[in-house]
Amino acid sequence: MKLLLFRVWNYLRGYVIIIVEGFFIEKFINICARRNIFLWDIRMQNERLVTMRTTIKGFKKMRPAARKAGCKVRLLKKTGLPFVFNRYRRRKAFFAGAVLFIVLINLLASFVWSIEITGNKELQTEFIEDALSRHGIKAGAFKYRIDTDSAVDKMMMEIGKLAWISINLKGTKVRVEVRERRDLPQIVPRHVPCDIIAQKDGIITQIVAKAGMEAVKEGDTVKKGQVLISGSIPVKGSDKSRLVHAMGTVNARTWYEEEVPVILTKTERIRTGKVIRDSSLILFSWKLNIVRSKNRFKDYTSEESRKKLTIGDNLVFPVEWETISYYEEKTVEANINEEDAKKKAADEAYEKALEQVPEGAIVAGENVVFIQDNDVLTARVTLECIEDIGMSRQIGGN
Amino acid sequence: MAKSNAKRKNKSEQNKADNKKGFKEKFTELLELPKELVLDRPKLTMIGRNDMMIENYKTVLEYGSGRLRVKTGSGILRITGDSLMIREISSEDIIISGTIHTLEFTDAG
Repeated sequence: MKLLLFRVWNYLRGYVIIIVEGFFIEKFINICARRNIFLWDIRMQNERLVTMRTTIKGFKKMRPAARKAGCKVRLLKKTGLPFVFNRYRRRKAFFAGAVLFIVLINLLASFVWSIEITGNKELQTEFIEDALSRHGIKAGAFKYRIDTDSAVDKMMMEIGKLAWISINLKGTKVRVEVRERRDLPQIVPRHVPCDIIAQKDGIITQIVAKAGMEAVKEGDTVKKGQVLISGSIPVKGSDKSRLVHAMGTVNARTWYEEEVPVILTKTERIRTGKVIRDSSLILFSWKLNIVRSKNRFKDYTSEESRKKLTIGDNLVFPVEWETISYYEEKTVEANINEEDAKKKAADEAYEKALEQVPEGAIVAGENVVFIQDNDVLTARVTLECIEDIGMSRQIGGN
Repeated sequence: MAKSNAKRKNKSEQNKADNKKGFKEKFTELLELPKELVLDRPKLTMIGRNDMMIENYKTVLEYGSGRLRVKTGSGILRITGDSLMIREISSEDIIISGTIHTLEFTDAG
């Protein structure tokens, strides 16, 4: 380790390899040591020939020592950074370029170039981006002027849907992580009188009222919004009615239906294997076409891929390499076995219908029918479910 | 004692330095000072038989790939070996690498 450091240090400072020739090489070495001319890697080549290394400064002080010892000193090799610099000293443009490069990198690295938003489900990414840009966080913003803490506070105040947000500035990338708040379910307080109404259409299979009066019977068909358990109980012998907070469960049969057409012919697009690639360089929003081909295919699809210039994960520069690949394609038609096509459509419809079924509902039955309408065969899947359709609604309110 | 006067004198001086501890040496031992600095003795550090550092040397008397002679405060140190190389030399220390066979001290003069 020490040796490595020593070598690096010597390389940075620059050193020379010299050949010393003479009868009194020991004398030469002693004089050098006494005059603080640092020597290393002294190797005997033969009786009168020794190679050694010394610093640039040492080499300059060496001449009188060599004369005193009666030795001849020849320079064999110059090594190290000072010599490299020396070689390029006259190339002003090269140095200007190097300096410009460093300045440019630093300059570009002090701007925000990309914003990454994660964790949003219902909030649109664009919406968050808009809100961020209002607080100065946007692509192209000067990095050091961004106050992430105050932006976090403001975002939290502005967007009620946010439960939590973190804004991290790393390199030229801003990482925004959000968590959304779930809307509170509307709960009618217990002391407020309410009815229980139907959330959706269905046929009542079971009704149990803990408080309030049943307004429908088992087997009744109800419509959305219909009162199932009434919170207003008429008082005998009076026109008035007593208001209560109705409670209970109302299970009903509900149906979810989905249709998917059966496709009997399959059109497949096959790539012929021919491909043309266009490349362009994008600086900021300025595009420079590097490769641009004229002849296009008649039938093709294009794929665009962009590569951003990044150093590590966090340093992103506004330089992009865009490649558009044009793949020639042709359409191939094939007939599908009718049974397979039907099954596929039915499966698809079933999946779709299942998506509609809310949580807590039990699927009691399913029914698949194929409907021939003109030329189109359609698979219809009906799922029969049993679920609690009751929902509280305040009496007099809403 | 058939030896010459001068030689006897030299020998006695050497004995004196070796056997009788001088005031200076006693003093340094008492105060636990580094001997190589106060008494002008060399400090030899060897790692295996390939690397050696001689601190506080005086001059290099002879250098060859098979033999190295260094004058020190404790006499002349003669090192023999194969492909001996002076890895570093400054006014205070020498670092040698190569395969070392023998180390030998002989009296100066």
